[in-house]
Amino acid sequence: MRVEFLIYIYGIVCVSMILFNIVYNIYSKQNERWLKKKCIKLKKQLDIQLNSIRMRGKIEQNQLEFLRKKLSHINNLIAFEKVLSGEFNTGHSEEIKVYLREIKPVILYLALVYSQKETMQAGYFTHFISNFAVNQNMPIDSLQDILITYIKKDNLYCRINALSALYHLGNSEHVIKAVKAQDDGKIYLNEKILTEGLLAFTGSHDELIKGLWNNFNQFSDHTKLAVLNYIRFKSGNYKEEMLKIMLDLNAEKELRLSAIRYFGRYSYEKALEHILNFARNTDPLMWEYATVAVSALEKYEGDEVIYVLKRAIHSPNWYIRYSAAQSLEAHNLKYDALFDIISGSDRYAREMMKYRLESRRLRMEGEVR
Amino acid sequence: MTDAFKVFFDYVGAFFIVYMIGYASFLFLSVSVGSSMLYKLKRQNRLKNELTGDYYVPVSIIIPAYNEAVTIESSIRSMLFLDYKLYEIIVVDDGSNDGTSQAVKEAFKMKRIDRPIQRRVFCQREESVFESYEYKVPITLIRKKNGGKADALNMGINAAKYPYFICVDADSVLQFDSLSKIVRPVLEEGNVIAVGGAVRPCNGAEIKEGKVISYRMPDKILPCMQVLEYDRSFLAARILFDKFNGSIIISGAFGLFKKNIVVDAGGYDLNTMGEDMELVVKLHEFCCEHSMEYRIRYATDAICWTQAPEKLKDLCKQRRRWHIGLFQSMISHRKMFLNFKYGLVGTISYSYFLFYELLSPYIEIFGLFSILLAYIVDLVNVPFMILFFFIYVVYSAVLSLTAFFSRIHTIDLKLTLPDILKAIGLCAIEVSFLRLILAWVRASALIGYKNKKLSCGEIERRKIDFK
Repeated sequence: MRVEFLIYIYGIVCVSMILFNIVYNIYSKQNERWLKKKCIKLKKQLDIQLNSIRMRGKIEQNQLEFLRKKLSHINNLIAFEKVLSGEFNTGHSEEIKVYLREIKPVILYLALVYSQKETMQAGYFTHFISNFAVNQNMPIDSLQDILITYIKKDNLYCRINALSALYHLGNSEHVIKAVKAQDDGKIYLNEKILTEGLLAFTGSHDELIKGLWNNFNQFSDHTKLAVLNYIRFKSGNYKEEMLKIMLDLNAEKELRLSAIRYFGRYSYEKALEHILNFARNTDPLMWEYATVAVSALEKYEGDEVIYVLKRAIHSPNWYIRYSAAQSLEAHNLKYDALFDIISGSDRYAREMMKYRLESRRLRMEGEVR
Repeated sequence: MTDAFKVFFDYVGAFFIVYMIGYASFLFLSVSVGSSMLYKLKRQNRLKNELTGDYYVPVSIIIPAYNEAVTIESSIRSMLFLDYKLYEIIVVDDGSNDGTSQAVKEAFKMKRIDRPIQRRVFCQREESVFESYEYKVPITLIRKKNGGKADALNMGINAAKYPYFICVDADSVLQFDSLSKIVRPVLEEGNVIAVGGAVRPCNGAEIKEGKVISYRMPDKILPCMQVLEYDRSFLAARILFDKFNGSIIISGAFGLFKKNIVVDAGGYDLNTMGEDMELVVKLHEFCCEHSMEYRIRYATDAICWTQAPEKLKDLCKQRRRWHIGLFQSMISHRKMFLNFKYGLVGTISYSYFLFYELLSPYIEIFGLFSILLAYIVDLVNVPFMILFFFIYVVYSAVLSLTAFFSRIHTIDLKLTLPDILKAIGLCAIEVSFLRLILAWVRASALIGYKNKKLSCGEIERRKIDFK
């Protein structure tokens, strides 16, 4: 191959890149202008419909056809969302709610249209749904079923937005279906995202937890962990179930640790002895259990608890010592009760305890200011 | 004799053709991929394909500081404006003698505390620890004996309470949304162990409470050229390497790491000048050797603003330090070179950094001497040489501008016409002159570097007006 040929190729590509940059810049500026124009047009349409709602309590018949045609295009949908947000924030929220209820058939139609489009556009549609359609209390059963299909798409954001829409709709049955659907192992969904999402559920948490628990064994360990963390934040009624997981030697470590944390939030007499056993365990391979157990003991009273915590603060493991000092501090013991540690011969235990007490003082001073 | 020269120059010519085609192709590929990724990211954001909820991964921000009394306060203050809830700030004063600790203590009402610090990675012992709980997040100041930046970072890792840490230079400022952007890859993928942030020269930018109020090209020529160079060389190349998990540099100015993995890999190396690169190469090596599934990502939209050197002397010091660091990292991990055990990092990334970064200044200077020699023996076609140089300048300039404008367009920054003209004019000067000067600086960096140990001189700091 002649070198000149390559130089020409690269030259052409360079010029193309420059042209692309220029064209893109012009296009995006045009796009902004076009979006503004589109917003003005849609706003005019919306104002007419809102007037119609005020006068007749419903929108005009041709509006549905108009929206079906227009909103199938992503740029129009973006403009429509902007207009709705603007109207919603300027005090027309009640009329908008009625309007959104009136255009339910369009939303259903769009749900089908966008489910066939590329995943990024599908992701935007689910964002629109979670922001508007569902926030304005317009539960549509068939829409919820369609949203489940969005959850199966290979796009993380599409899944998150669709889940978010379902959480807002507040139907536990559909959320359980959705949690199952996302657990297909195709797209990684961080357990934090799943837990936070479940916490945002607008329906009955008791019902949702019950449903999730009934399906618990069908979930992957990853989803199980998110569900356990969610239950920990929302319900203290699963002590017996959590105890079983905590004591199940075949259960995954993170699940067992989550179960111990549950008892750090909701004290349970039957679990105490087992937690103490975890805390007493000096096997270096079991340090994570011991650390979490020692933290959980913050919630429990009694001489044995204090005795175990005082022993734990002498542990060779830094994390166990740290957690023990934290739990002892949380018990609000008097100086005399901690004297054996503070003036003891174990420098590590002494330093840790003193640090926790001092930093508590600093934190309190900071809060007072 | 003339025949011998001809044979010699034939080989030299063949070598440079292969070398230049390789470099031109890489540059072309990186800028194309980089630009298209930036545009894709913009479209993704426009279509709300992004994490918008309040998902917080707990992060410890570590700021190693040595004689940073001038900038440290504004740097910490900027970190209090971050739009993030779960983080702590740890300042490690590495034995400064300009009152850095005093400045922090006074500005943030720090109280001395006897805090035990776990020694998970080696570092010098702490002399004193101060804490403050009076602000949005806890601030810790650790004063220790001087041991170098890596040593200070190791101290920060030891003191960090959270599972992820971020290292930030004391003269840098994080954009208000940078923390939520840099943790995003961690939430998106389960096996991310490190994320590099985008470092941008702040010269010319007006930043208030972590937000860019106005952006223009810097007034001075040198930082202006660095703005263009950053976009062409760093931004584009890093996006390309990110595509195949091949990033081996995460800037020391802004990077997120999973603490446990870093500790298991041994923390920052105390004996290298390029501790940031060394750590990333070490993480690749560690994960490959332990057959771990891992990803090292690059977050183009997590932005850290830093001061680009404004004096040529300071720029030379900075580049000398980078080149020595690169050399040390490549040497200490040489077993990765073309070793398939380390996947594409060992083959593509290592080879690229070896031939086009570490050896490039020597090759460039060798090329210049060859031209000179060829001219003396009358074997140079001068008009063609000038034409070729012109093509090189235009090609590099176009790529610089493509990378630069892609960034500007995709993050919705507005430039004035004089700034655009400035960028167009300076990109040619940057590739024709600055590049050659820096090639010479890098080529001479390794001369006597062992005697200088870890010191390459301090870069002059000026107080940044971060409002």
